[in-house]
Amino acid sequence: MTDFLQLTAAGLSQGSVYALLAVGLIATYTVRHVVNIAQGDYAMLAGLGSISLVSAGLPLPVAILIALISVTLASVLIERLVIARVKNLTTLVSIILTLGVSTLLQAIMLLVWGAEGRRLPAFPGEDLLIGGVSIRSQELWMLGALVVVGGGVLLFYEKTRWGKALRASAEQPVAARIVGISPAVASVIAFAIAGFVGAVAGVVSSPIYLSIWSGGLLLGLKGFVAAVLGGLVSFRAAIVGALLLGVLESYVAGYVASGWKDAVAFFILIIVLIIRPAGLVLRPNAVRV
Amino acid sequence: MHRAQRRLLIPAAVAASIALAFTGCSTSNFGGGDGGDGASEEGPIKIGAVLDITGVGANLGVPEQNTLNMLSEQLNEDGGINGREVELIIKDNQSTEDGAAKATTELIENEQVDLIIGASRTGPSLAMRPLVEAAQLPTISIAANAAIVDGSEWVFKTAQNDVVVLERILDDAESKGYTKVALARDATGFGEGIAEIITELGAERGITLTATEAFEPSATDFTAQMTNLRAADADFVIIWGITPSAGLAQAAYVQIGVGKPVYQSHGVANAAFFEAAGDAAEGVIAPMGRLLVADQLPADDPQKEVIDQFIADYTEAFGSAPSSFAGHAYDAWKIGVAAIEEAGTDPEDLRDAIEATSDFVGISGIFTMTPENHSGLTADALILAIAEGGRWNLYSE
Amino acid sequence: MTLLQKSPGAVRSKTGFWPNNRATIIGVSILTLVVLVLPFTATSTMMNIAVFSMIFALPAIGLSLLMGLAGQVSLGQAAFFAIGAYTHAILLQKFEMPGIVAAVGGVVAAMLAALLVGLPMLRLRGHYLALATLGLGFIVMIAVREWEFTGRTTGIYGFGRPEVFGIPINNNGLFFWYVAPFVIIGLVLALNLTRSRAGRALSSVNDSELAAESLGVNTYALRVKVFTLSAGFAGLGGVFYAYQVQIVSPQMAEFHVSVELLLMVVIGGLGSVWGAIAGAFIVELLSEGLRDLIPAIIPGATGEVQLIGYGLVLILVILLLPGGLYQAVRTVWAAIRRRTADRRAVAAARVPDGTADGGTGEAPTRAFGGLPGEEPPAPQSAAVDEEGVPNVPAVSTPLAVGEPILEVRGLTKRYGGVVAVDDVSFTVPAGRIMGLIGPNGAGKTTCFNMITGAITPTSGTVAFLGEEVQGRKPHVGAVRGLTRTFQNLQAFTSTDVVGNVYMGRYRKGRAGIIRGMLGLQGREQYRNEEIARDILDTMRLGDVADLAAGDLPFGRQRMMEVCRALASEPALLLLDEPMAGLSGKERDMLATLLRALRDAGLTIVLVEHDVAQVMALADTVAVLDDGVLIAHGDPESVRNDPAVIVAYLGTDAEEAKHELEELEEHA
Repeated sequence: MTDFLQLTAAGLSQGSVYALLAVGLIATYTVRHVVNIAQGDYAMLAGLGSISLVSAGLPLPVAILIALISVTLASVLIERLVIARVKNLTTLVSIILTLGVSTLLQAIMLLVWGAEGRRLPAFPGEDLLIGGVSIRSQELWMLGALVVVGGGVLLFYEKTRWGKALRASAEQPVAARIVGISPAVASVIAFAIAGFVGAVAGVVSSPIYLSIWSGGLLLGLKGFVAAVLGGLVSFRAAIVGALLLGVLESYVAGYVASGWKDAVAFFILIIVLIIRPAGLVLRPNAVRV
Repeated sequence: MHRAQRRLLIPAAVAASIALAFTGCSTSNFGGGDGGDGASEEGPIKIGAVLDITGVGANLGVPEQNTLNMLSEQLNEDGGINGREVELIIKDNQSTEDGAAKATTELIENEQVDLIIGASRTGPSLAMRPLVEAAQLPTISIAANAAIVDGSEWVFKTAQNDVVVLERILDDAESKGYTKVALARDATGFGEGIAEIITELGAERGITLTATEAFEPSATDFTAQMTNLRAADADFVIIWGITPSAGLAQAAYVQIGVGKPVYQSHGVANAAFFEAAGDAAEGVIAPMGRLLVADQLPADDPQKEVIDQFIADYTEAFGSAPSSFAGHAYDAWKIGVAAIEEAGTDPEDLRDAIEATSDFVGISGIFTMTPENHSGLTADALILAIAEGGRWNLYSE
Repeated sequence: MTLLQKSPGAVRSKTGFWPNNRATIIGVSILTLVVLVLPFTATSTMMNIAVFSMIFALPAIGLSLLMGLAGQVSLGQAAFFAIGAYTHAILLQKFEMPGIVAAVGGVVAAMLAALLVGLPMLRLRGHYLALATLGLGFIVMIAVREWEFTGRTTGIYGFGRPEVFGIPINNNGLFFWYVAPFVIIGLVLALNLTRSRAGRALSSVNDSELAAESLGVNTYALRVKVFTLSAGFAGLGGVFYAYQVQIVSPQMAEFHVSVELLLMVVIGGLGSVWGAIAGAFIVELLSEGLRDLIPAIIPGATGEVQLIGYGLVLILVILLLPGGLYQAVRTVWAAIRRRTADRRAVAAARVPDGTADGGTGEAPTRAFGGLPGEEPPAPQSAAVDEEGVPNVPAVSTPLAVGEPILEVRGLTKRYGGVVAVDDVSFTVPAGRIMGLIGPNGAGKTTCFNMITGAITPTSGTVAFLGEEVQGRKPHVGAVRGLTRTFQNLQAFTSTDVVGNVYMGRYRKGRAGIIRGMLGLQGREQYRNEEIARDILDTMRLGDVADLAAGDLPFGRQRMMEVCRALASEPALLLLDEPMAGLSGKERDMLATLLRALRDAGLTIVLVEHDVAQVMALADTVAVLDDGVLIAHGDPESVRNDPAVIVAYLGTDAEEAKHELEELEEHA
């Protein structure tokens, strides 16, 4: 039982990283219908960047703040320089294009930071041992980041006028314009959000899961699997799906074989796509704005 | 008609120019099959190396690369082998098996080398074995698993056998009265067969294996494996891998609060282990060669002189102390070069000369090869080291 | 799919086993020559690059077919590459089978795997398929890594190299010659396929899936076949890779291999088979070159530094040269041809005896046409100035006049709470024209789409020739003779006018993918092209037959679509607002044509906004209002039906009367 709870706890913290990435993916997909393969690379970029800043002597919070802002700007830059340049950007083209972006980001990280994985110092806090279940304080930071940042994005998109207009801009550019958002601005905002959320995921997870140049792809893809569970539109379903995915992976690693862990997400992806492409949401129409 | 002729000319011209674009001076593209013995009596002696310079084995391959470069420069400054220059050709296998196979094929067919050193890890070494055997080319691996040399006519190795390493671990555990062991091992070739060896060796010492977990060398999250190790309720734990993964596993093990003593393998015999494991490294015991504890060796240790010299040379050249893996490369190079000095580059003569290596004092131990024993080290080659304060210290049992 | 470079397509060429496209012959000759010469001249590094380009060209050709023809992107091509290699290695190593059996086994295993996953996955929309195949790549990689039988992380090794007539293929030169013939044959087969009936059908699907399906193209089945074929190419590449490297290991299925393959296709030009080979060579060259170049520029750079080039090239090609090398070469080639054409024109002017009369039999076919600067002469002004239609294309008449050919029962469509079509029932008798009218938003087009299979009804049945076709794909009805046109034009813009009408013949053709690849369908293709041209001549579109379909004016495109529908020799023709956008003369001509077709035995249902036209043309008229069928009968009774007058013409009785009078006048 202790082991079961231990695996569940580990799965939830891993799942919170997937959830943040899923939130970023949905943020861009709803606005721009872009599947951003580079989403996970934002996380690695932020992690590695803040590690460098910390080792340059900056205090941890300052380093993290600078890294978050830089990655957010990088995401906007990518939108302006690459995504916005393509007319009639279909989702399929966006996948190939962002695959190129992702590859480029990885190569840059490899050249700048080298091939070794590095970790950020753990955030302040005491590790807990509850009934034999060890919970690292960093894992609480990760879940906290999901609640605050993921929840914030969710509320922004679902409750605010701007957020709603943003979501509408994909389907109804006119409606969005009425609120004063041009499709170009909407796209920039969406990428800024995606960059920020990805960066948050990267810095909170770095002390445990490390930041490494090649780590973003798989992470982003798992975020995507979670996003698909939400039909690529529902933040709530995607967050729940991401946490479930993390827990399921943890069980597979613990009870089946650790080597199969990374396959779990893709089995889920294929099964969900075939059985229920609209995601796990009960009424797919209801979540569309 | 004119037009038709011109039409024929165009493709011909294009073809000719494309062909010209590829043109080089070499016509060796058909010449690989007969090995490197015939034409190589003159010109430089070619030694190829296949190393994990990038990828998960980079902690091993980079110091190995440094060592070989340093030694080949030294050798050529001293006039080469019997007056012939030595050309060292290092290929990166990117820590992959097929990378190793590609590199080996290139070394054999294109470079026509006289001797191959490598690979850094067991998996790529195993992938190379059938290729060098088919080409009948003497090869000295610097990886650990005994399967690399078992029954091979052409492949040797310089890293200590996993069996002797495990013997040292289990002997120590037995002396402390432990009876149950749990294992977390590298999922690649380096870790294969380890559970079986522990079961076999443990039976003689009253130690039973209660759980086996595996991890990828590229893994960063070890919670599941360590949770299972905890559940195994053993007296002690063996983590069998290379850095950084073995170090990260160590950190996860401590974080999850198991609290049982840990033995690691000679795969962590470098400073990188401490970077990956951090404070969690404290108290870990691992069998390894004498290199990392050279400063603590008694003055009469037969290896001390060789080791001190190597450390001095390496530190001067690269600004940091060498790892045990650098030592494996040193031994492979020295044994290979000595054999070429002795027997020349004819593959069979060279192989026989390597098999005749006797009481060679190297970094990892004192080697005595035979046609049956292509590993050449005994349990004496190993000491037990304990991690203390961010370095390895000699552990007195 | 806007992503994809349009496949080439003239029907003109009679395809034999050896491709008769001149460019192909020249290209294949050059390639063969290079292949023969290369091992004697290339440096060993270059030879190594050449060998791996040849090996990777095979999966790249497969991927290019998938992307160009099926309009699908696979990010898991490496999975099939690995499956082919592993099966091959296992058969060689563990079952000690002869090389040829093991190789065939490898290819078959890759194709079977593709069939298995393709059947469910190809129902997904494009980007989902791309991501699902990406997932497949990871699953295959992990499966072979974790499975004892496949040698876990180390893989399978220790099988030798092949022997041909007792000669061991044990060096790069021989190996190059060993692979190259397979690449060349694969190339020819793939090129044939793009020009075949199936290839043209898939190319049409990329222009308009709905229109292609309405002509009987079973998109899904063709996509599954191309996906399977594509995996076969990948499997063959894997077999050669295993032979060359002499080990198969999980890294083969890794994502970056799939990305490299994708990069090859994108660089070469999406959907261009030649491009795939060029792309394979460029990527291998790039990879080798960057691995040397980047550490020279940036000291201390190690690892997969070539990725920086991959990323940059991928982005730049998509942003700046979406058609890849293929597009670039065609643009340059067109410029050269234009220049030589100019020079020749000057020469011709100087030499009046006409020996320099270029272009004899060399008029650029659309197969290599459509180049910027190679625009054919502008169409002559519309030639619809004669009354009447002299000949009527063939139609099929499976039933006697008056027997029910289409029976609609209780047809209903709900969207959420909105009922678009509510319990509509009617019968269409064979050999008659039925008009379906109603105000905007009455549900006419929805009704229409349910009959043709474009939309699945919520309830109710549609029986065509006694068989229920509701809820099935449009091609199901289409192959039985139910064809339609569209309110919004759905021309196949990647081909010319005759190519469009030729597609109408799809249901009359038989040749499948294999015949297409072997080029054994020339006769069928040629005959159908003749028929298509005859129809165009009959319909007075013969003069524009070789123009790009998208270049026609609106009215003539509409007529072209009618020709395309007629080319399938339908039993039931559904026309969705055929009169919209036509000039008065064109309308009259179309009306005459429709009457003539009816007299020839064709059943016609038309949805039309122009009530007067329908009343004049139709034998029976059905009126929909707010999704409900409010009247059905001969034009006279419908015209006098008070419900129709009020519902259709307006709620205001006075206004209705006025409108009615106007209507009477027209009639």
